[in-house]
Amino acid sequence: MPIEVLNPTCESNPSPFNCAPRLKTLEGATVGFISNGKEGTEGFFRYLKEYIKTEYKVSTIVWETKSNYSAPADTDIIERAQAWDLAITGLGD
Amino acid sequence: MSLHSEKIELESFEETQEYYHSRGWTDGFPIVPPTPEAVQACLDWTHTPANEIIGIEPVRERTISAEKLAISAVMAGCLPMHFPVVLTAWTAMLKEEFLLHGATASTGGCAILLVLNGPIRNEINCESEFNVLGSSDRASSAIGRAIRLGLMNILDIKPGAIDRSTLGNPGKISFCIAEHEEGTTWESLAVSRGIPPEVSAVTVFSASSPRQIMNEWTKNPEEILDTYASEMKANMRSYSIWSGNYTVVIPKQHRDHLQNVGWTKNDVCNYLFDKARIKRSEWADVGKGSVVRGKGDTVYRALESPEHLLVVAAGGPAGGFGAIIPPWLGLKSQAVTLAIGACVDC
Repeated sequence: MPIEVLNPTCESNPSPFNCAPRLKTLEGATVGFISNGKEGTEGFFRYLKEYIKTEYKVSTIVWETKSNYSAPADTDIIERAQAWDLAITGLGD
Repeated sequence: MSLHSEKIELESFEETQEYYHSRGWTDGFPIVPPTPEAVQACLDWTHTPANEIIGIEPVRERTISAEKLAISAVMAGCLPMHFPVVLTAWTAMLKEEFLLHGATASTGGCAILLVLNGPIRNEINCESEFNVLGSSDRASSAIGRAIRLGLMNILDIKPGAIDRSTLGNPGKISFCIAEHEEGTTWESLAVSRGIPPEVSAVTVFSASSPRQIMNEWTKNPEEILDTYASEMKANMRSYSIWSGNYTVVIPKQHRDHLQNVGWTKNDVCNYLFDKARIKRSEWADVGKGSVVRGKGDTVYRALESPEHLLVVAAGGPAGGFGAIIPPWLGLKSQAVTLAIGACVDC
């Protein structure tokens, strides 16, 4: 017997995430790291920091740490990030 | 009927099952087909328009509409009379202090526990005694499952997608209990959290797996509660040392021993607040010596204050058992209690 049913998923929300324009080069750029505060980010970002400084000649690296690793980044971090050319975030579990 | 979701024409009940399973829209169990009529019946029961926004999950910027929650409820097996609980639980889960995204995405494997209080428990035939922590009755099972199906389908909280749980927790299938208010002289959990006794309410709590304790060999309140405290301390050593909302479920046998000598819920809270604490050096006893880091004498409490303990009177009439349900992770997610179908502070 035919049956009519409803879609249970979130249909109407467009993706809130749009990709920022890509940088042509990292040379001379200011790069910000946003750590979620977990211990694993420490070694990962430390390695990445040296790698992109050496390989890509970024000029400045800013390191920020969220106050709650399960919540969105704090508002003041987001405000400071406006001055960066690139932001890198990552999990550290 | 003014529903907005995509309507799907299928040939049969069996095809509906396979259609939903194949799209990852179920938890693996069969679902009740969410027909427009069944979904509308839920919305009508609560006088809620289909497009009413119950809240917005801020991390993924997803709006949560009443219609989508009603679809989850029907799929889970809810009757319309169960839907007010689902609506209110979601309203509570979307409060900022509950930190819904963190609690449901975490590797820690948290499940969302619902505790029901007030007249609605009896109106929808919740059972508060035998087997209360799992499959105790139709209403509790369906309501808890509706929460999970809503998370999966509206917010993509699916294993390996947004849900990154390493192990998960059996409570993720369904985790809803009703307090046995008729079986205790204690005030209800909701009353202790500011809800008038004549008002129905739901408390939502980001819960780790329950840890069962047993002590049948004393009637002394301190000794009974020392067993509960020991399990809280064990959780602090082997899982998380940070203070948060702990839930303790105290069945009748232990409750009787406590109540017979005049102990109230406040007394339980004060005692466990005092007893449930460890030194950081105790991490070394359970293989975590590397993170003691010279702070071995620092004392940590399971509870930031006695009020952070959620004491629930529930469970079968016999047996010297009880349960500790630890928080997912400290106070990052805080328990929220809301009245069902009533505003108590407006």
